Amino acid sequence: MKAVKKVDQFYLLKQLPKATALLCKKGILLDASCSWLDIFGLPPQDETTKTKVSLLYSEIPDLKRRLKENKSFSLQHKIENTDGTRYLKSYFAPWFDEKENVIGTIIQTDDITPEVQKEQQIDWLNNILETKVEVSETGWWEFNVQTEELSWCKETKRIHQVPDCFEPTTIEAINFFKPGYSQNKVSMLFHKAIASNQSYNTKLMIVTFNGEERWVRITGKPFVKDGKVIKVFGTIKDIHDQEIAETRIKEHQQLLSTLVDSLPLNVYVKDLESRKVLVNKGECNYFDKRVEELIGKTDFDLYGEKDAQISREEDIQVMKNLTPIIGKETVSTLNGKTTHFLTSKIPHFDLEGKVCGLIGMSLDITAMKKKQEELCNLINITSMQNQKLISFAHIVSHNLRSHSANFSMLLGFLNSEKDPQERKRIIDMLTQASDNLLETLGNLNQVVDINTKTAETKKPLNLQNNIVKVLENFSALLDKDDSQIINNVEENIEVSCIPAYLDSIILNLVSNAVKYKSPNRTLLITINAVKSTEGVLLSISDNGMGIDLDKYRDKIFGMYKTFHNRKDAKGFGLYLVKNQIEAMGGSITVQSEVDKGTTFNVYFNEES
Amino acid sequence: MKKVSCIFIVDDDPITVFGIKKMLKSVASCDDIQIFQNGHEAHEAIKERLKEGKIIPEVVFLDINMPIMDGWEFLDELIALDIKEHITINMITSSIDPLDYKKWNGFKNRCPYTLNFKNKPIFKIEANDLGCMDIAS
Repeated sequence: MKAVKKVDQFYLLKQLPKATALLCKKGILLDASCSWLDIFGLPPQDETTKTKVSLLYSEIPDLKRRLKENKSFSLQHKIENTDGTRYLKSYFAPWFDEKENVIGTIIQTDDITPEVQKEQQIDWLNNILETKVEVSETGWWEFNVQTEELSWCKETKRIHQVPDCFEPTTIEAINFFKPGYSQNKVSMLFHKAIASNQSYNTKLMIVTFNGEERWVRITGKPFVKDGKVIKVFGTIKDIHDQEIAETRIKEHQQLLSTLVDSLPLNVYVKDLESRKVLVNKGECNYFDKRVEELIGKTDFDLYGEKDAQISREEDIQVMKNLTPIIGKETVSTLNGKTTHFLTSKIPHFDLEGKVCGLIGMSLDITAMKKKQEELCNLINITSMQNQKLISFAHIVSHNLRSHSANFSMLLGFLNSEKDPQERKRIIDMLTQASDNLLETLGNLNQVVDINTKTAETKKPLNLQNNIVKVLENFSALLDKDDSQIINNVEENIEVSCIPAYLDSIILNLVSNAVKYKSPNRTLLITINAVKSTEGVLLSISDNGMGIDLDKYRDKIFGMYKTFHNRKDAKGFGLYLVKNQIEAMGGSITVQSEVDKGTTFNVYFNEES
Repeated sequence: MKKVSCIFIVDDDPITVFGIKKMLKSVASCDDIQIFQNGHEAHEAIKERLKEGKIIPEVVFLDINMPIMDGWEFLDELIALDIKEHITINMITSSIDPLDYKKWNGFKNRCPYTLNFKNKPIFKIEANDLGCMDIAS
């Protein structure tokens, strides 16, 4: 009977929906509900199994002691199995018989895994939030519309530089914003959030507890329940340093771009492919294009193939060898206009120190270059004139000296000469010397005239007419010897010349040809004229004696240089011609072959 | 009176030639005084004399500025002829161009003959102009 009763009792236990177990006083499992056995993964129990409960709760070392106290208690524990971790909560209560004697312990166990997991998730979320606040330095605040309570998070307090214990009122919070724009703005936004459910996100300035003015970004988002705003949640972030940095960067950029734009230089930045990535105003003005039209373009898009190739090779050299080109003189041709530049190209490095292109600067030195050329020309002219002056001074001194020396000598003779016949001879000589001196002075005067009267205006003169006029003077001379003159000069050719000089040039050259004609041939003079862009070239050729230019090239146009035994040769004509043509900015050259003939080429300069 | 076998006067200025001839009369006795208008003529004459074995001028009065062949060119040609006999050459010029003086100095160093530099006007022909320094002193 007793046994049956017992069986019944335990059979009932098996069926209990809540996991329940019974222990004897020694802590050995007597029996348990199926659900309890299932939790711990135990087989059905009988007298032989003798499962010790302390082994099941191995993580709780003082379980035995606590059971002996015969008091109710509960504890949390967990079981690891293949499905993962199960969190459990067990309630321990003393088991009394009818006489209130403790005969063992009743255990009830709940599976609290979902609750624990939820808790863990909340912990995790809180962690994330805190980390986020910490990392982003973004604080939050919350306003309860009904209670009018405002709460700040730690970060929010830190931003306002208030102690952690500070709890603000709405008025206080708004008063932290800088009076004026910031304070008015935040009041309005906060009001609108509550009154008309509007979110906001703006940048304003606060004055912290310590009196520091700092830029912050604030947001606010109303939460609505039953059509009414019940809560406003928002964030605050200190963006002062970024704001200041940004302002500073903007200021730097402004300074830099003003500087680059106002430099009297063409400035450009090119990438590795020599495409322009930045151009300044100077560069735009030079190309007469807008910035957008130049960005991305290479020199091949802008210049001729040859110029572009030279520029690209420079670019490659700079970017490859990392050696800058400083102040190199370059020439660029754009739309047919040539510009001289003083160009510098410097390698451009990115933040990692790798070359990413180049910075170019070009200074337009065309005007300077032109001035320099003018100066060079002037120096050349001056030194040439100086040379002429020196050689003229020598000529003067030599020729005058030679006459005066003769005077001295002859007068010396005259002084000591008694013989009247000899005296007469000496006086004849003196007369001759005097005539010679006069002639020399006349010649020298002519040369001085040429070199001082360069200011005399040139006139356009018909070449053909002037030649014909000069040739008339020779007609008697030429007819006598059957000499022939072929004048091929076209009628319409004009030269810009001082009239007297043109006559002198033609006269001297033709008379030279007549003077030095070959004794073996009939004289033939050919006159030609060619007009080109540089001016008019007049050629006078003869078939006369010619002259050995290897010997006399340096002297042919020299003063008082003669090369043939002729009584009427004074060595002055060609010297005069050369002075006259050079005084008009032209030049004269000679070609000759002994016993063949001579050609004089006269270049008339058409510039006035 | 110094006896000179042969004198060449090379100058295109008849007045200078007249003067030299006149001055020579009082200091030298010479039966063979030759006048030339320029270096070329004088050079031809010397070549001719060499060819025919005639006497070479003992003294030469040489102008610098002359047509066709000037004094310097004549000197070049004369040195090239490599004449063994001694010649006294008097360069006569009215030039005061320092360049001419420099040129003379250059020639003096490489000329095997006595080379004098005489600036016009000349009033007297010295003994050493005739190549007789030893006798004169």
